[in-house]
Amino acid sequence: MDEKKLIEKAKEGNKAALAQLVQKYSDRIYNLALRILRNHEDAEDILQETFLTVIEKLHTFDGRSSFFTWIYRIATNASLMKLRKKKVVFQQLNDNPDFQDSVESRVFIDWSQDPSITIYDQEVKKKIDEAINKLPDIYRSVFILRDIEGLSIKETSDIMSITEENVKIRLRRARQFLRDYLSDYFEERIGQENA
Amino acid sequence: MLERHKQVIKQICDLIGGDLDDSSCRDVLEHLNNCPTCKVYYDTIKKTVFLCKENDCPEELSDEAEERLMRVLNLEEIYKKTKSG
Ligand SMILES: [Zn+2]
Repeated sequence: MDEKKLIEKAKEGNKAALAQLVQKYSDRIYNLALRILRNHEDAEDILQETFLTVIEKLHTFDGRSSFFTWIYRIATNASLMKLRKKKVVFQQLNDNPDFQDSVESRVFIDWSQDPSITIYDQEVKKKIDEAINKLPDIYRSVFILRDIEGLSIKETSDIMSITEENVKIRLRRARQFLRDYLSDYFEERIGQENA
Repeated sequence: MLERHKQVIKQICDLIGGDLDDSSCRDVLEHLNNCPTCKVYYDTIKKTVFLCKENDCPEELSDEAEERLMRVLNLEEIYKKTKSG
C-alpha cells in the first residue's frame, strides 16, 4: 500500500495502517533523536513522544508538506525541547550573516591528506565524537539533518521552520566549529609526527 | 585577510553541499585553484564533513524498544500479529 493510502486509513482509525506507518519510520526517528540527544534512553523517549504526537495530530496533517518532513519536524522539535529542559543555560543564537567567527585570525594547516587521519583510529573517532558533542544544539541539528542525514537545504529549512538562508548560515557555523575543533588536534598531531 | 578570501570562505560551504549556482561555483573553483589559503580551508572543511559522516553509524531499534513503543501507542496486539506472520 502506498504511503498516501496508509495515512488516509490511519486517519480513519485503522490500526494496522497506523502500525505500518510507525514501523516504516521508527528506525529513522530513533536515529535522528539519538544523533541530536546522544543518549539512548532519551532517544527512546523522543521516539515514543513523536508517535504519540503523530497519532494525536494526524487529523491535522493536510499533505502540504511530505509526511516525512512533518514527522521529522515533530521529532526534531521534541528533541530540541528535551535538550533545553536538561540545560540550565540557554545558548546564545547568532544568525547574523556578517558574523565572521574566527576565520580571519587562523593560519590554515592542511591535515586533510594525512593518511593516519581516519575513523579507524580510536583517538580520531573520540575527537570527532567530542567535537559533535560540543557543537551548540542549534547548529548540531542543522548539521545532522543536512550533512549526516543528507537532506536538502529546503527540507532542512522546512523541518527546522527557519529560512533557507539561516540553514546555510548555521551549517557554515557548524562545519567551521567542527573543523576548528578537529584542526586543533590534527595540527598538533601532525606536528608531533613530523618532529 | 583579503576581502575576496572572506567571500570565498562563505561560499565554500555552499559549494560543498552543491548549493551554489553554476556561475558562483565556477568563480569559487577558480579562486581555489589560485589561492592556497582558501584551498586548505576547503579541503579541511570537506574532510571534516566526510569524517563526521563516516563516523556516524545508524543503530537498529531493538525488538524490546519497538515492543515498548507499540505498547505505548496501543498498537501492541496488531504489532504482535504482524510479527508472528
Ligand atoms: Zn583565498
